[in-house]
Amino acid sequence: MRIPLLVLVLNASVALASLALANCALASPANYTLQPASSVVGFETDFGSDKITGQMPISRADLTLDFQNVSASRVAVTLDVAHADASFPFAAQAMKGPKVLDSRDFPQISFESTSVKSKGEGAEVSGRVTIRGVTKPMVMQAMIWRQKGHEAGDLSHLTIRLTGALNRSDFGAVGWSDMVGDQVRLDILARIARSE
Amino acid sequence: MWRNTATRFGLTSRLLHWSMAALILTLLVLGTVLTSIQPGLSTLWLYGQHKTLGIITLSLALVRLIWHRISPAPASLGSPVAWQNRVARATHLALYALMLAIPLSGWIASSATGLDVVIFGQIILPPIAPVSEAWENTGFAIHGILTKVLMALLALHIAGAVLRGLKGDGTLRRITKGL
Repeated sequence: MRIPLLVLVLNASVALASLALANCALASPANYTLQPASSVVGFETDFGSDKITGQMPISRADLTLDFQNVSASRVAVTLDVAHADASFPFAAQAMKGPKVLDSRDFPQISFESTSVKSKGEGAEVSGRVTIRGVTKPMVMQAMIWRQKGHEAGDLSHLTIRLTGALNRSDFGAVGWSDMVGDQVRLDILARIARSE
Repeated sequence: MWRNTATRFGLTSRLLHWSMAALILTLLVLGTVLTSIQPGLSTLWLYGQHKTLGIITLSLALVRLIWHRISPAPASLGSPVAWQNRVARATHLALYALMLAIPLSGWIASSATGLDVVIFGQIILPPIAPVSEAWENTGFAIHGILTKVLMALLALHIAGAVLRGLKGDGTLRRITKGL
């Protein structure tokens, strides 16, 4: 079983974002802070014919978004492994235990972007993720929207959805591999607010 | 009625014997099933049941040993064939040892996984082994081997009991009806 990931990014080509550019109260690049209470790092993996799902809190997120030059955007996120939760108690315990995430010795998972590119209607965020002290490259797909209740062109509050997958065995998190799938699918919904 | 006498098993010993027999047979079937199925959400409860029944068996084995100190079991009726007596005696001793060792090895191995050992769906037993893959693998290996030894000894025990029953020497009747 296993773990999740990080967050964020951007994409200037996203429809709503481009709306914003017109108004441009936005000198790029802009720093954003995470709204943790309304952000979710979700994960899913296979458990026999069933699924294990869960969530992991974000302990820190540093975001710099540049809507005019997407490649200048940067994301750094840290997750709190010790407070991760899963769809049933054994899964959470196993996930945080020494055979998988080993939260006692490795209480955090971190992700730092190395490049952000426009792709289709969203963006592709490449970066390096560190789990159990092992750092590997990772690519996630990102989409961004203006948050509900904010007018077109207002980029002060955004919602970003990141999706991707990793193999836990790449990080030495091989516990219960006879029962639980290797691939961990991530679905991250991050709500962010522009820093003043 | 409850206590053993010099020639008869009391109701306490007989209840302990047969309730443990039912528990052990259930555990053997359940354990065999668990080793052959793919774990999933719909089968997780079976693992909990196995642990619950295992701990009950361990507790009853201890109760039985204590009870036999309080109210000693009657002496064996014996067989005219000496080696059969020795086999019966050794089998009984081994069965008692296994009734303690198998649940303990399961508890040790489960503790070593780092997961809570939960019985009755809510009671968390204290871990009795360090969280360690070596302890886990060794514990489960011993659990499996001892279980196979138990199956062989139970077959021997049942065969001996049936044989005595067919001969009508009273051994089987003592533990069924207390006569």
